[in-house]
Amino acid sequence: MKRAFAVEHLSIAFQDKNEPLQTVVSDVSFSIGLGKGKSEIVGVVGESGSGKSMTALAAMGLLKDNARVLQGAIWLEEQNLLSLNAKELSRVQGSEMSMIFQEPMTSLNPLMRIGEQVGESLFLHPGHGAKLSKKEIRRQVLKALEEVGLENAERVYRQFPHELSGGQRQRVMIAQAMINQPKLLIADEPTTALDVMVQEQILELLRRLHREKGVSILFISHDLAVIEKICSRVLVMYQGQIVEEGAVSQVLHHPKHEYTRTLVERFPRFIAPPRSKQNVLTLRDVSVFYRERKAERSGAQRREIVHHANLEIREGEILGLVGESGSGKSTLAKAIVGLNPQYEGEILMQPDLQPQMVFQDPFGSLNPAHTIGWILSEPLRIIGIKSAKERKERVLQMLENMGLSKDFYNRYARELSGGQRQRVSIGAALLRDSKLLVADEPVSALDVTVQSQILQLLLEVHRQNGLSILFISHDLNLVRHICHRVAVMYQGEIVEIGDAQEIYRSPKHPYTRRLLQVENMNL
Amino acid sequence: MRVKRSDIVQNKYLLIGGILTGLFILVALLGQIWTPYSVTQMDPLSTNLAPCLAHPMGTDNFGRDVLSRVMNGCGTTLWVALATVLIGGIVGTVIGALTGYFGGWLDTVLMRICDIILSFPSVLLALLFISLLGTGTDNMILALGILFIPSFARIVRGEVMRCLELDFVRSAKVMGVRPLRLIFVHILPNTLVSLLTTAAIAFNNAVLAEASMSYLGLGLQPPLPSLGRMLSEAQGYLLTAPWYAIAPGVVIVLIILGFSMLSEGLRNWRP
Amino acid sequence: MQYIVKKIITLIITLLLITLLTFTAFAVIPSDAAQARLGTEATPQQVEALREEMGLNDPVLQRYGNWLTGALQGDFGQSYQYDGVQVSDMLAERLPTTALLAGLSFLLILVISLPLGILCARFRGSFLDGLITQLTQITMAIPSFFLGILLTYIFGLVLRLFQPGAFVAPTENLGQSLYYLLFPALAVAIPKIAMVVKFLRGAILGEIQLDYVRTARSKGNREGRVLYVHVLRNAFLPVLTFLALIIADIMAGSIVVEQVFSVPGIGRLLITAISGRDYPVVQAVVTYITVIVLGVNFLVDMLYPLIDPRMRSAYAGPSRRQL
Repeated sequence: MKRAFAVEHLSIAFQDKNEPLQTVVSDVSFSIGLGKGKSEIVGVVGESGSGKSMTALAAMGLLKDNARVLQGAIWLEEQNLLSLNAKELSRVQGSEMSMIFQEPMTSLNPLMRIGEQVGESLFLHPGHGAKLSKKEIRRQVLKALEEVGLENAERVYRQFPHELSGGQRQRVMIAQAMINQPKLLIADEPTTALDVMVQEQILELLRRLHREKGVSILFISHDLAVIEKICSRVLVMYQGQIVEEGAVSQVLHHPKHEYTRTLVERFPRFIAPPRSKQNVLTLRDVSVFYRERKAERSGAQRREIVHHANLEIREGEILGLVGESGSGKSTLAKAIVGLNPQYEGEILMQPDLQPQMVFQDPFGSLNPAHTIGWILSEPLRIIGIKSAKERKERVLQMLENMGLSKDFYNRYARELSGGQRQRVSIGAALLRDSKLLVADEPVSALDVTVQSQILQLLLEVHRQNGLSILFISHDLNLVRHICHRVAVMYQGEIVEIGDAQEIYRSPKHPYTRRLLQVENMNL
Repeated sequence: MRVKRSDIVQNKYLLIGGILTGLFILVALLGQIWTPYSVTQMDPLSTNLAPCLAHPMGTDNFGRDVLSRVMNGCGTTLWVALATVLIGGIVGTVIGALTGYFGGWLDTVLMRICDIILSFPSVLLALLFISLLGTGTDNMILALGILFIPSFARIVRGEVMRCLELDFVRSAKVMGVRPLRLIFVHILPNTLVSLLTTAAIAFNNAVLAEASMSYLGLGLQPPLPSLGRMLSEAQGYLLTAPWYAIAPGVVIVLIILGFSMLSEGLRNWRP
Repeated sequence: MQYIVKKIITLIITLLLITLLTFTAFAVIPSDAAQARLGTEATPQQVEALREEMGLNDPVLQRYGNWLTGALQGDFGQSYQYDGVQVSDMLAERLPTTALLAGLSFLLILVISLPLGILCARFRGSFLDGLITQLTQITMAIPSFFLGILLTYIFGLVLRLFQPGAFVAPTENLGQSLYYLLFPALAVAIPKIAMVVKFLRGAILGEIQLDYVRTARSKGNREGRVLYVHVLRNAFLPVLTFLALIIADIMAGSIVVEQVFSVPGIGRLLITAISGRDYPVVQAVVTYITVIVLGVNFLVDMLYPLIDPRMRSAYAGPSRRQL
């Protein structure tokens, strides 16, 4: 008897109306051991569109209508999941194998109580044909909620999803996935939408469930660092194929495929030192407030998000600002560039500083109704260049400097990739004669290979123009590699600030220490 | 925005809606300069004729050619629809854009009023206006025009507020773009698809309202033809001359169908 | 509780504002009610005397106050058009007919459109779905008064299933009255049925793409259970709001359709009152319709928190959501 989950020569393609067949997974084979002594956690790493999620969805029978399996088999022990009919498949789903997803915020039914949702998994798969009593279901659900580390399970049982935090919801997802003691759990980027600290807790929970229940886990992620923490074996997927496979430490330290190498060495090696010790921007005792648009009308109390921040940025310096979401780093950035006038304290800057911002989501940051040429001309119109010919010349020059060809001038943002859009955003900031770039997570929405290209571009711009950069990120590893100094934010306060290497060597604030611990757990 | 021909052909709603609407506009314009027979000339010898070669849609109880009257009536419908949508569209867009951007108590008050107006069917409110202003085409245009302001204002306001949360608007603000330029040059072009969709729905409603009001005798006054009035006249001769009712009725259905398919197509249209 | 009180207060204020607005509008228009009542041959003294008697010389706010006091006791004044007839009597006489017509229309809409919409969504992409979708697109475009004329022609004149114009009042014979009203109700309902089917189908299909539905499938829910247990309740939230709009539309549709079928209801009353500039009657009908429309919206506001727990906690006080 095969005691494994095995994918054999799997190929999947998309067929959209009137469009040619587009293969997204081609000839993928791998297997995962199941059951006592054989269970393992296997990682699949790759960028978006590499086919990693598609493989998992095919195994769960959750492919969209426009996706088609061209060939191959997916074995769960003795049964080929791809040959099962809907009824047979529904018996396997959620009992012998189950799945958790990336977005805990939207993955639960908003109108159903938690207890009811978790209980549904039991109700749908009543052990040996015998229907469970309501009382028995309730008992088992409460036990499952406790097992995933939810405090006050009785209360959670009665709550609705919107009353829980993201981390709690992901725990609920895990509870309902694990309640039938599946042999295999597929986790599709289960920690990507969560904060660093919560991420670590969820990983710990998965590790524990693997150890205690012997469940095998297929762990999908774009982030090698996360894979490294939890998996024993890893598959690297690239453009629909498995390009590398092996023990995590092996793949990490001796990557063979070119793509894996870019994954591992994604940080630039050299940064130019700051130009001078002169400050271009000084924050003195700055507190930033937030008022909801609605509250503005009813005159409700504004909320203080950032408390008494003191900070200076020097000429030609890259200053990293790290902290988890909700720590106030973006709010502070908005106050600096003038998007949020609700602050107290002093923001002093050089008169010609013109701080400009590069945003996280490249898909929202360019006006969809205008051409790239028009978008890049706008800063020139604002600084008062009247001649259309001169504007066009300068825009074309900037396109070239940003590594984009001239025909981007007449294109629309929707025709550009994420990386190309970030290039345009950086170019627009430079055309506005900015001396300080506030980059709010500028690469975290990009694929790893593109990330390093955009970082290279930023550093080049920094070197050539002597630009100062305030680099906001939740990724400590990244900040450490490209910043001169680092400021750490926690609950609206700057708790630590200093030389990047110094902070990593001897963090002073307990929060920084905890952050670093989490980051370095398995390094 | 660029429109690819293949996009339109693939979007069947847009295609059929466009053809129907185009035909309607052509017929309406033609009906103003040329009709097979005089619109008002009566012929006691040929009353209530069934459709034949000389009168493809038959004649009415006064012996007037139904086709000619339908063609001319389309003109009234088009004029009323166009004028009301323009009034509602322009005023509504400006109000929506400004309140959406600036917010404040005025926004709250205006939107509350819009909500109330929108919760009442437009035919009903138009009736109320007419009872205040008196019957007639101009009053009807004014009434319907004012009634369409809220739907445009709501849509544009929503779109502007959505855009305000988007990074491209933030980045334009940081760049130093002034509010009015930001609203009308940066943001408004992005609302084009929703604006067009709303306009198509407004056309649809305007045609329906005009037909209903003329049917009730509160719109265009006789002897000039309008589609709704023809229906109410025809109702007395249903048994003897059913075509007299069916011809203008079917034309109304086709006009409304054209606009509703156009709005449907526009809604699914992602340029 | 706070939520309900807030909604009730808003309801009352809106009602007062709308009636005040219409009242003022009718008060300031140039045409003179006293003159209209006496005819052109009356002397200025006679007109002035009647104005005084009718209270037309009082300030608008005072007149509104008088009207409101009366209206709250069910007294809407006297008709201008028919001397000495109480408006409330005219309204009371026609109300049962219109209520019956509107109720019947709404019932037809619910009974036909909800199953059809669910059916379309359940078998999305099938031939049946395609057929119904195309049909709804076309029926939506038929104005109810034209539909009424067609129904009169086909069922009344050709098939002789009913006699157009021979309406029997519900107080006389409820059965016959209902039978007659079935046809105008169909004329009102058919275009709305198409709208609801389309809206419901769209709401379900929009819901089916959401993450939680994928979760439900991954737990081993079969397609039917996914739809009935998980999707429908969520999809019904927007449909509820839409149905409130439909009720307002039924009111408008029945005004015109009553005309087509010669049904002596509120709609016909309104049309004759408008043509005859009988403002007390118009004001009373407007108030009646406003009460219905606002009442329905209020009802929806009350139902929402019952179905959606997110609304419940949002209005129970400060949000307890943890980030």
